[in-house]
Amino acid sequence: MLEVKELMVFYENALAVNNLSLEVKEGEFVGIFGSNSAGKSTLMNTIAGLTLHLKYREERRGGERITILGRLKFDGEDITHLKPVDRVQKGIVLCRERHPIFRDNTVQENLQLGGYLRKEHEVKESIAFVFELFPSLKRRRNQKAGMLSGGEQEMLAIGLVLAARPRLLLMDEPLLGLSPVMQQELVRALKRLSQEKLTIFLAEQYARPIMPLIDRGYVIENGTLIVSGSGKELVDNPEVRSAYFGM
Amino acid sequence: MWVAPPLKGGSNKIMGSDALIYSVLIYGLVNGAVIMLTSLGFSLTFGLSGVANLAHGGIYLLSGCLAWILLNTLGLPFLPAAVITMVLAGLLGAGVYWLVLQRVRGLALSEMIVTFTIGIGILEFLRWAGFVTYDFNLPVIIKGSLTIAGVIVDYQRLLVIGVGVLIAVLLWFFSHHTKIGLALRGMAQDEYTALSVGIDSDWAAALSMALGHMIVAMAAIMILPLGLISINVGYDVLTMVLAVTILGGLESTAGLTLASLILGYATAATGMYLNPQWTQVVYLAAIVLVLALRPSGLLGKFKELEERV
Repeated sequence: MLEVKELMVFYENALAVNNLSLEVKEGEFVGIFGSNSAGKSTLMNTIAGLTLHLKYREERRGGERITILGRLKFDGEDITHLKPVDRVQKGIVLCRERHPIFRDNTVQENLQLGGYLRKEHEVKESIAFVFELFPSLKRRRNQKAGMLSGGEQEMLAIGLVLAARPRLLLMDEPLLGLSPVMQQELVRALKRLSQEKLTIFLAEQYARPIMPLIDRGYVIENGTLIVSGSGKELVDNPEVRSAYFGM
Repeated sequence: MWVAPPLKGGSNKIMGSDALIYSVLIYGLVNGAVIMLTSLGFSLTFGLSGVANLAHGGIYLLSGCLAWILLNTLGLPFLPAAVITMVLAGLLGAGVYWLVLQRVRGLALSEMIVTFTIGIGILEFLRWAGFVTYDFNLPVIIKGSLTIAGVIVDYQRLLVIGVGVLIAVLLWFFSHHTKIGLALRGMAQDEYTALSVGIDSDWAAALSMALGHMIVAMAAIMILPLGLISINVGYDVLTMVLAVTILGGLESTAGLTLASLILGYATAATGMYLNPQWTQVVYLAAIVLVLALRPSGLLGKFKELEERV
């Protein structure tokens, strides 16, 4: 479904992603793990087209020089130069880190905004599914999103992107800053999404709660691929286990 | 100025202190509506795209001049001339975004410098083009007047009140209950999250500029018939819009309404008891006082507070 080929991303002369190649097949749950500044967010933003958007903006105003090399393919089609909006139209949807939501809007409005490109009946279906997945959001549907707790905001952030009806759901550190109880709640939701055969590509620093869910995983460091394999292979690797999984 | 507050012994033939008070009460409301209608376009653009469009005064006057040319040079009837003026103003807004503002997007100071320069450029171009005499004015939509509590109020001013309220309600409905309005608000809050769900931020910003300009054009067509089309009006409008948005709080529709009424009554009282020339001082004093005492405005709020909750 998604192919990343020899991807390199530079911010000025700083190399954020270094010659990275990976793939995500339809229906898979793939994880990518690494410490801070490993290049996870840059990778996710590049796949979603946000880095390209930023690159063009910086070029227009004579700001930072961003270089993107390599190829991105989705369903065999080259999407390297596609705008973020067109990628969402194709079903590539990113849930960015630190629960990105529209804080001044209600929960219901956030979910409607998530389905901005979708038909009305599709949005209704998606919102019903999100409320089933996260019942607490349904109770707070008319509440302003900025007033939700951190955990609920992360639920809403996931609901927001689910309303966009992704075919490939990209998630950047969804567990960041959440309490253990809330992490469990989100892991339960991710498991449900995986069971629904949604293709998920998730970046996370704290990999332990995610490991039981993934089909395959990659570990990156300084933008470079260190090791890849199935969830079990990664867990069985002692170096990887101690360095990244806290085991 | 485009609003002529009643003067002692002036055309309203006001006699006695009671009549003066009635006059301030009625014309304060009229002035408030004028200020609100004039500022709605600025507030809309800022609220939806974050661009403080300091070309506002220039666009206001340019719209008046365009309408005058369409009416007097091309001989079009009023309604087509008004619609064409609004469409041209909207296209100009979108064009300014695509050609200039897109390049400095996110750099607030650069955005302000660019729009301020465009506004001054338009006003000085109009001065160069000859719109400096007392020959240029737009026709009123409804002629005649009525007397309220002994104060003469012409229908055009009452129409401005009605249109101002109507536009404010329609804008609120648009931004809160339509798909595009919600998308524009979403984009204003978090551009990258909006992009993540398929809202094109450049398209949204261009649309908000176009809508803002169209409302400015409508305001000009409604309000300029109350006075003359002169270059000073463009500069006055810019000062007034800054005062009302700073006093009310940026992005706050309720704040804009409240600030419009406060400034409306302040200018009416100033015109009545001092001199209409002092109204600019009222606006400037409002800007300085609010920035010194309550920088977020009367009903505005800083986002950081909300994020800590």
